[in-house]
Amino acid sequence: MYSLIKKMVCCAGTSGSEKKIAEVIRGEIAPYVDEITYDALGSLVALKKGTAAEGEKKKILLCAHMDEIGFMVTFIEDNGMLRLAPLGGINFTAAAFSEVVFENGTRGVIVPEAGTKPEDLKADKFYVDIGASTAGEASRRVSVGDRFALVQYTTRLSKNRIVGRPIDDRAGCAVLIEIAKRIFGGCRDDVYFAFTVQEEVGCRGARPVGFAVAPDVAIAFDVTGVGDVPGAKPMAVSLGDGAAIKVRDASVICDAGLVDQLHKIAADKKITHQTEVLISGGTDTSSLQMAGAGCAAGAISIPSRYIHSGVEMIDLRDAEACAALGTAYILGE
Amino acid sequence: MENKKVTEEKLSGIKLLRDLCLTFGPTGCEEAVADEICRQLEGTTDAEITRVRCGNVYAVLHGETKNGETAKKVMLSAHTDEVGFIINEIDSDGYLKFSCEGGIDPRVLCGRHVTFRGKDGDVAGVIASKAIHHQTADERKTATKVKDMYVDIGAKNKEDAEKYVAVGVWGTFDSDFVVFGENDRYMKGKAIDDRLGCAVIIETLRRLKAEGKRLPFDLYCAFTVREEIGRSGAQIAAQTFEPDYAIVLESTAIADLPDVPANSRVAKVGDGGVISLADRSTVYDREFVDGTMKIAAQKNIPAQIKRYVSGGNDAGHIHKAARGTKTLAVSAPTRYLHSASCVAAAADFDSIRELIYAVLNGYSF
Repeated sequence: MYSLIKKMVCCAGTSGSEKKIAEVIRGEIAPYVDEITYDALGSLVALKKGTAAEGEKKKILLCAHMDEIGFMVTFIEDNGMLRLAPLGGINFTAAAFSEVVFENGTRGVIVPEAGTKPEDLKADKFYVDIGASTAGEASRRVSVGDRFALVQYTTRLSKNRIVGRPIDDRAGCAVLIEIAKRIFGGCRDDVYFAFTVQEEVGCRGARPVGFAVAPDVAIAFDVTGVGDVPGAKPMAVSLGDGAAIKVRDASVICDAGLVDQLHKIAADKKITHQTEVLISGGTDTSSLQMAGAGCAAGAISIPSRYIHSGVEMIDLRDAEACAALGTAYILGE
Repeated sequence: MENKKVTEEKLSGIKLLRDLCLTFGPTGCEEAVADEICRQLEGTTDAEITRVRCGNVYAVLHGETKNGETAKKVMLSAHTDEVGFIINEIDSDGYLKFSCEGGIDPRVLCGRHVTFRGKDGDVAGVIASKAIHHQTADERKTATKVKDMYVDIGAKNKEDAEKYVAVGVWGTFDSDFVVFGENDRYMKGKAIDDRLGCAVIIETLRRLKAEGKRLPFDLYCAFTVREEIGRSGAQIAAQTFEPDYAIVLESTAIADLPDVPANSRVAKVGDGGVISLADRSTVYDREFVDGTMKIAAQKNIPAQIKRYVSGGNDAGHIHKAARGTKTLAVSAPTRYLHSASCVAAAADFDSIRELIYAVLNGYSF
C-alpha cells in the first residue's frame, strides 16, 4: 500500500486542475475495471461490472477526491513577487515560509509580508518569491492563473506511519485502487470507482458524478481528524485504531442503515475500526447523498493528523483497514 | 461636462440596455423584466421562446449537425433580477421599514429615490434616516444600519400608506439611465447588473438571425431569476437543459480606484469583458478560458482576466448541476455595483457582444 500511496501523493493536482493525477490513477486502475470515463468537470469514473443479472444488481459508488488544496497566482508585482488566492481551506499559519512548486516545475517560497502579526496571516498578506527580481523575469516563468502548492512528498517515519502531502485525499485514492484490485476476481454488484475533482473548494465535483451514476449506495473514502495529539479538541478517533466509520460531519448525516452495516461487517471480519463523529469539516459524502434523486451515503475515513498542513500524517494500518472494509462491503461474504 | 439622459435617437446601440435597466425587477419580482425580454425578442429571432413557472425565460435555437450527430448543447445565461428592497413593516406614521434583497451596502442608501410596485401602480419614495442634526456623536461615526432607515412615501399615517403599499411589496432604486464622459463612453444606471448580460444575449440572438447563421450546436439562452440572493434560477435552467457548455454573462464589481493597491484591482473599465479563472463559487474550465482568450486575441477584441478571486455568480450552480457543465463567465467590469448608480463602459458592452459572437462561431465545442 505504501508504494501506491507514494505514487498518488507525489503528483500535483490543485482543485480544478486534476488532469495529471487523473492520468496516473487511470494507469493504475485500468487493468482492474471494465470501463473508464471522464465527466465534464474532469472526474474519473471507473466501472467494474457486477456478475448478477441486470435488474438484480445494485450500483455501488466508491469515491475519493483527487484534488489537493493549493493556490493560484493573481498578480505579478513590479519586483517579481507573486500575489495569490487560495484554492481550498488553506491554513496560512501552516503555509507560511514553505517551499512551493508550480505545475510547470517552477519552485518558490510562500512568505507573509514582513511584520505581519500571527492573527493577520491571511491570503492578502502573502506573496510568493520565485527568485525573480522583476515582473518581466517572473512573467517568463509563471503567469496569472498558474497554480502551485506546497511541495508534494512523502516520508516513512516508522514501520506504519507516514508523513507528507497531499495525503488528503490521495491516500483515499490509493485505497480505492486497492479495493479494485481485491475485487478483480468478480463481484455481484456494479461498482463505480469515482475519483472526483474540486472537493477542497466545496465538494463540487462529486455532485455531477452522483447525478450521472445515480447509485443505490455511495461511500466516500477521505481523511478525517483525530483527537490524539496535544491540544486537540475531544474526538474519539486515533491514529492506528483502524478504519473510521463516519456517523456525521458538518455537511452530512450518514445513512444509519449503512453505518450499522459497516460496523457489523468490520466486527465480523475482525477489521480494526472506530466510530467517527466529526464536528467541523465536510466531505464528498454530502454531495453524493443529495445528487439526483439521492442515495444511501456514508464514508470510511482514514484518520489523519495535521490535515491541510505540509505534514499530514497517517498510519498505514488504518489505510489497510479501510481497503479491507470497503472490499468486504462489496464482496458481502 | 454635460450629463445627459439617453434619447431615442442617441446611441441606438444602448437603447436596448437602457430599456432593460429601467425595467422593474428586484429579486423575486422579475415578471416585468421577463415581459420586456420577450417583447424585445419578438420577431427579432427564430429561437423558440418559453416562460416557465419559476420565472425564467428561455430562447432555444436548434443547430445544424452533420451526419445525424447528436447536437452539443451550449447555454448562455444572464440573470433578470436586480438588488432591491422589500417592505416588512409600516409604522403608525406611515413610514416603511424595509430590508434589502441582495447585497447592498447600507452606505449607498440614504437619500435615494426608490420605487415600490404597489397595489395599483408604482409608488415613489425616498430612503431616509435620522437627520445628522439629531444623531448622537456615536451615530455620526458609524454607518447607519438598514434597520434604522425607513422609506418615506409621503403618507400621512399607516392607514394612508396602506392604500398604496403593503408588507411584502417589492421596490428598487429609481435611477435614470445616463451617459457621460468623453464621447459618452460611460453609462450609469441601476440594474446594469445584470441587464447588460441580458442585452448581450438578446443582441446575439438578433445578430444570428440578421446574418442568417445556423450554429452547429443547440443554443439555449436562459434569462434567469433570483441570482442576487443566491437561489439560482440558473440552476433550474441547467438542470432542464443539461448543457455541455455554459457561458454566464455577468457584471462584476471591480476596484480600479485610487485607494486600491494594484494587486487588489480586479479589472479595469474599458479593457473589455472580464473572464474569471476562479471565484468563490466556481473554478472555471481552464481550456474554455484559454480558448476564449485566444479567440479574443485573434479577433482583436478587448478582454481581460479577472485578477482577484472574489464574488460568485450563477456559474456556481450551473457548473455542478446535473452531469456537470464546462463553464465560462464573461462579466462587464462595473463600478459601484449594487448601487443606484452602476457605471459601465459602452466599449465593454460592445467588446462582450463581439466576443460572445466570436466564441459561438469560433470555439470548438
